[in-house]
Amino acid sequence: MAYSVLVVDDSPVMRSFIRRVMCLSGFELGQCWEACNGEEALAQLKEHTVDVILTDINMPKMNGEEFLKRLEQEGTLRSVPKLVISTDATKNRILRMLSLGADGYMTKPFSPESLREELERILGARNASRT
Amino acid sequence: MPHELEHLEAACQDEELTETLRRVSAEVMETMFFSEAVPVDCEHDWLAGAASVRVDFDGSHSGQMWLALSREAIPAIAGAFLGLDPDEAAAEQRSQVILELGNILCGAILSSLWPESQLQLDPPALTAWECTSEGVWHVCLALEEGLLAISIRLSGVKQTC
Repeated sequence: MAYSVLVVDDSPVMRSFIRRVMCLSGFELGQCWEACNGEEALAQLKEHTVDVILTDINMPKMNGEEFLKRLEQEGTLRSVPKLVISTDATKNRILRMLSLGADGYMTKPFSPESLREELERILGARNASRT
Repeated sequence: MPHELEHLEAACQDEELTETLRRVSAEVMETMFFSEAVPVDCEHDWLAGAASVRVDFDGSHSGQMWLALSREAIPAIAGAFLGLDPDEAAAEQRSQVILELGNILCGAILSSLWPESQLQLDPPALTAWECTSEGVWHVCLALEEGLLAISIRLSGVKQTC
């Protein structure tokens, strides 16, 4: 099964890197949508159904925290697995993002293998909870 | 504590922090930029022509991080990050990769130095190298092509309950 993914990051080269690393890792990537902030991501989610969302935290207009809060308020989007990818590896930040609804948190730097494992973990956990 | 012991403790702490700087920088370069990074003695003639990035940070710790990448390193680093041949990346893409390198290095280094901290990083900015050696932790690393220099200056630590 190929998964459709939404990558949310204000850096176009980082979005490109994440997309490439998902392919390199052997993750079964189907459609890959992109957005440069939370606001644009919410607009994308009205147009497309995705299996998992990967989001940065520090972004203009709507940052990752606000984006997660908005997703929690949306009935159908609340159940979409969300993985935060950030340079911030401080405990306070990780706990904060998990409390806002993130299913996983990856810190940069990360290897292709670790990204695939984390995606499979959160997708597996979510699929298991549906059955 | 006797004065000599205070000096010794500070020197040990500086060495520990500099070692963390080396280790985390090498890990970032290898994992996300697919380049080996080996510590080298500092010879800073090349800094004047380098691409430099400054990242200011604030919160429980405040200060600045500077990064300089020698000109010959830029095509290889940008190409490796984007999955392109070194000459394929456009000038705008190269600039964005250098900024992202500054962002990743700063976040990874600060989180590793102070995992219990609460930090806010400003967006990285391309700027001239202006970091003097005073009150600074600094490393120079040799990449497969070119050189990388990183300096961190801590200007304040806020007491938290």
